[in-house]
Amino acid sequence: MLIRFLKKLSILFGRGRFRAELDEEMAFHRAQAEQELIARGMTSEDARYAAMRQFGNTTRQHERAHEAVDFAFEGAFGDLRYAIRQLFSSPAFTVVILLTLALSIGANSAIFSVINGVLLKTLPYPHSERLVRVFLSNSDYPKFPLNPFDFRDFRSRNQSFESFAAFTRGDVQLSGSGEPVRLIGFGTTAGYFHVLGLQPEFGREFTQAEEIPGNGLYVVISDRLWRTRFDSDPAILGRKVTLNTQPFTIVGVMPARTEHPGNEYHSIAYGESVDVWWPFSFAGDPSKRGSHYIEGIGRLKENVGVGPARSELNAIMTQLGREHPNNDAGWTVLVVPLSAEIVGGSRQVLLVLLGAVGMVLLIACANAANLLLARASARRREIAVRLAMGAPRIRILRQLLTESLLISFAGGALGLGLAFAGVKALVQLLPADFPRAHDIHVSGPVFLFTLAVSVVTGILFGLAPALQAARIDPRQGLQKGGRTTTASAHQNRLRNSLVVSEVSLACVLLIGAGLMMRSLLNQLHLDPGFRQDHVLTAAISLPRAVYTKNDQSAQFFEKLAHNLTMLPGVEAAGAGSDLPWTGYDENLGGFLIEGKKPAPGAEFHARYHMATPGFLKALGTPLIAGRYFTEADTDAKPPHNVLIINRAMALRYWGEENVVGRRVSFDDAPKTDSDWTTIVGVVADVKDYPNSPAAEPAMWWPELQSGWSPDMSVVLRSAGNPQLLADALRNEVHRLDPTLAVADVQMMDRIAASSVATPRFAFVLVGLFAGLAILLAAIGTYGVISYSVSQRTSEFGLRMALGAQPRDVLRLVLAQAGRLALAGTAIGILASLLLSRTLKSLIFNVAPTDPATFSSVALIVTAVAFVACYIPARRATFSDPMDSLRAE
Amino acid sequence: MNKKSDLLPGTLDMLILKTLTRAPLHGYGIAQHIKRMSDDVLTVEEGSLYPALQRLLLQGWVKAEWRMTETNRRARYYTLTAAGRKQLGIELSQFEDMIAAIGRVLRDVEA
Repeated sequence: MLIRFLKKLSILFGRGRFRAELDEEMAFHRAQAEQELIARGMTSEDARYAAMRQFGNTTRQHERAHEAVDFAFEGAFGDLRYAIRQLFSSPAFTVVILLTLALSIGANSAIFSVINGVLLKTLPYPHSERLVRVFLSNSDYPKFPLNPFDFRDFRSRNQSFESFAAFTRGDVQLSGSGEPVRLIGFGTTAGYFHVLGLQPEFGREFTQAEEIPGNGLYVVISDRLWRTRFDSDPAILGRKVTLNTQPFTIVGVMPARTEHPGNEYHSIAYGESVDVWWPFSFAGDPSKRGSHYIEGIGRLKENVGVGPARSELNAIMTQLGREHPNNDAGWTVLVVPLSAEIVGGSRQVLLVLLGAVGMVLLIACANAANLLLARASARRREIAVRLAMGAPRIRILRQLLTESLLISFAGGALGLGLAFAGVKALVQLLPADFPRAHDIHVSGPVFLFTLAVSVVTGILFGLAPALQAARIDPRQGLQKGGRTTTASAHQNRLRNSLVVSEVSLACVLLIGAGLMMRSLLNQLHLDPGFRQDHVLTAAISLPRAVYTKNDQSAQFFEKLAHNLTMLPGVEAAGAGSDLPWTGYDENLGGFLIEGKKPAPGAEFHARYHMATPGFLKALGTPLIAGRYFTEADTDAKPPHNVLIINRAMALRYWGEENVVGRRVSFDDAPKTDSDWTTIVGVVADVKDYPNSPAAEPAMWWPELQSGWSPDMSVVLRSAGNPQLLADALRNEVHRLDPTLAVADVQMMDRIAASSVATPRFAFVLVGLFAGLAILLAAIGTYGVISYSVSQRTSEFGLRMALGAQPRDVLRLVLAQAGRLALAGTAIGILASLLLSRTLKSLIFNVAPTDPATFSSVALIVTAVAFVACYIPARRATFSDPMDSLRAE
Repeated sequence: MNKKSDLLPGTLDMLILKTLTRAPLHGYGIAQHIKRMSDDVLTVEEGSLYPALQRLLLQGWVKAEWRMTETNRRARYYTLTAAGRKQLGIELSQFEDMIAAIGRVLRDVEA
C-alpha cells in the first residue's frame, strides 16, 4: 500500500518524465505497426495513416494511461487549473459574476449570523430547554404578572416543576465613594439562580427565610460590579454596601456571563445587564391578591412538557379562584418556553429577512446561470473541439461544474469577508432592545453555512448550463463555427424563464419593502400625542429609607420641577411616572365612575400615571378639553381631588359626552365628596408603544395628591439644544439632594427613535435587499435581451433591408422585453399575495395587499425592465442591412 | 475502425502477465503475441494496453526497463516480477474456477 502510494507520488512529481516515456513507447508502437503494414505490402504513406488510425487518439491514450496510475484528485486538480485559466481569460464576466455572488452570499451569511446567534444558539443556562416563564392572562390583560401569594401557592402546590421562582425589577442607588449611581437591580425569590442553573462564584443566593420582610438586608452582586466597584476584593462576602441609603450585606457574587433572562415589567435587555439582586420579600394579608407585579420563572422536571405544566398550573389557578373569588377568579396561566419568550417578535423579523436574502441569492443564481449560458454558447466551439478530440461528455460536465463551483467558492470566500463587515454593521443597526445582540458573531456554524450555500449555489447555477453544453453535437459545433448559431429554442426558453423568475422575485422583495416603508411612514407620521423634539429626560429614584412620607417625594419633585422651569432656556419642565412609548403599563382596575356601571364580568380600568403640573406641557401632550394641573392641585384640606384622563378613556367610558367635571372614585364605597375625584382635563392619546394597535385608557394624578411615588422621570423642554441642559439638570438635582443619582439622561427623540428601531431595521434591510434584487434583475434582463439582439442582428438587418424603420425594430425588441417583464411582474404579484400573511404581523396600518404599493411596484419593475432593454434595443436599430446580407 | 475485442473484464492483466512468463517484451510485442496466440481473435487495443501496463507497474507485478531492440531502437521492455508470477497463479486459478462454474451452468441449461 505504502509502496504504491510512493510510486504514485513519484509519478505525480516526475510527471514530465512519465509523459515523455509514454510518448516514446507509443511512438515506438506506432512505428512497429507501420513497419508491419509495409511488410504486408502497403505504401509507406498508407501504412502511416493506417497505424495512426489503428492507434487512435494519442492524447486520449495518454490520459487513460495516466488515469490508471494517478491520484483521484489529479483529474479534479487539472480541471481546477483549467477553470482558473478560463476565469482569468474573461475578466469582465468573472468580475460581474463574482461580485454578484459575493454580495448575495455575504448578505446571506450576515443574516444567518444573526439568526444563529439569536434563534439557534442555545441559551447560556444548563438545559435551558426546560426553562419556562409563567404569566397570567384574562380578557383585559392578555399577559400579566403574578401576585406574590399566588406565586407562593404555585410554588408549593405544583408537581411539574423541579424549581420555581419569581423576580421583579427594582433598581437601586449605590452611594458611598463618588457620585451616587443607579444600578439595575432585581428582587428575586429564593432559588432564582437555582432555577436558571447558575451558581454564585462566591457565597450563596437567597433562602426562603429572606422572603419574609425584616429578615436582614442582603444583596448578591454581579461580577462586573465586584470588579469595577470593589476591586475584585476576595474578602467581599460580608462587606456592607450602601444601597438606597441603607446598609446591605453582600452574601454572594455571580460569575461573569450571568445573563438576565429578560423581563416584561419595566423590561430591560436580555444579557449581562443586571448588577444587583436583592431578596424579594413580601407579607400581608394572603386573601388580598389584586396586585400583580412579580414574574414567574420555572424549571420543568425532566419528563414534564410545557403542556402538562400549563394544565397543572391552570388547575391550581382554578382552585385559587374558588378560594379567593374576588381576586383570583377568571385567570388562566400562560407557560411560555424561555427561548420563545426571549426571542419574541424578533423571530418573525429574522425569518422574513432570511427569506428576503434567500430570494436575493436565488436571483443571483439565476443571473449567474444566465451569464454562464451566454458564455457556454460563446464556448461552443471550444467544447465541440474537446468532444471531437475524444473527451467524454462526463468530463465536459465535470469541467464546467468545476468552473461554476470555483466561481461560487470564490464568491463565498469574498462573501464571508463581506459578512464580517456586514455583521458589524448589522449589530450597529440593530434596535437597542433586540434580544441576544451580543451573541451575534461570524462563527463556526456561519462558516459551515457559507460553505454549504456556496456548494448549493455553484451546483444550482452551474448545472443547467453545464448540461446544455455537454449536449453539444461536436460536428454541428465545429461546422457552424459559432457565428450564425442561434440558440436552440430550448435554450431560449431556459434563459427567458430565468429572467422571468428574477423579475418576479425582485417584484416580491420590492412589494415587501414597499409595504414596510409605508408601515414605517405610518408609524413616523402617526400623531404620537406628544412632541419628541427639544426634550431632555432623566430618571431619578428617591431612596425609600429617606423619603419615607408620601408628601416628601411629591414635594421633592414639585420643587425640582419648579427650579428647572426657572433655568434660562427652559420652556417647561416637570416630572412624571413614566415616559411615552417605553412600554409602561401600570394598570388600575375596579374604580367607580359616577353614574356608570361596567359591563357584567368586566371592570373599569386604566393605565395610571402621576405628573407634576409642568409634565404634560413639557412633553407637548396637547390638551383636548379642560385644563392641565396647576400648583394649586395639592393635598391641602379640604381635599379637592383632580384627575386628567386621555381621549381613549373618555371615549371608552363616556362616549361623546363632555367629561370635564365628571367624577370617578377609587374608594370601594364613596360616601362624601372627598371620596370622589373630579376630571379636570382630557389630553391626547399616547400609546404604550408606537406600534400598539391603540392607546389604552389612561389617567394622571397630580403628583401632590397621588401619594408616594419615589421613581420619576424628569422632562425638560428647551428652546434651544436640550442636550446643553444636562449639566444644569444634574446641578439642580444635587442642589436639592447631593446623594441622588441622575440616571438615563437622554433626548426624547432618541427614545422615540429607538421605539421604531425594529420596523426601521427591517425596512432598511429588506429595502437594501430589494434594491440589490432589482439591480440584479435589471442586469439579467439586459444580459438576455442584449444576447438575443446579438443573435438576431442579421434578422434585424434583413428586416430593415426590406423596409422596416428603426422604430419598428425598437418596438420588436422592447416588446420581447415587455413580455418578460410583464410575466415576471404578474408572477411576482401573485406570489406576494400568497405570501402576504407572513408580513401581516410586521406591518402597521397597511393592508398586506395594499393596492397602492402593488401597483407602484409593478410600474417600477416594468420601467426598470424597459430601461435595462433600451440600450440593446437601440443597438438593434443600428443593424446594417448590408452587413447581414454580405455575411449570409 | 477496429472492432472492440470483447475481453472479459480483468482478463487483460492475466494475459499480459502470462505473455511475460516467456520472456521480457515491449508493449507492441505483447499486443502482437496475444493477437497471434489467439489466432487474431483477441485484439488488444492500445487504449487498454498501456493503462494496464501502468497499473501492473504500480502493483509491482512487472518491472520496466529501456533496452535496444534487434533493429536497434529504444523500447520499454516489461519483465515479470516474483510478485507478478504469484499474482498470475492466483488469477489463473480464479479464472479456471470461473470458467468451470460457467461451464456447469451452461451444461445445466442444455440438459
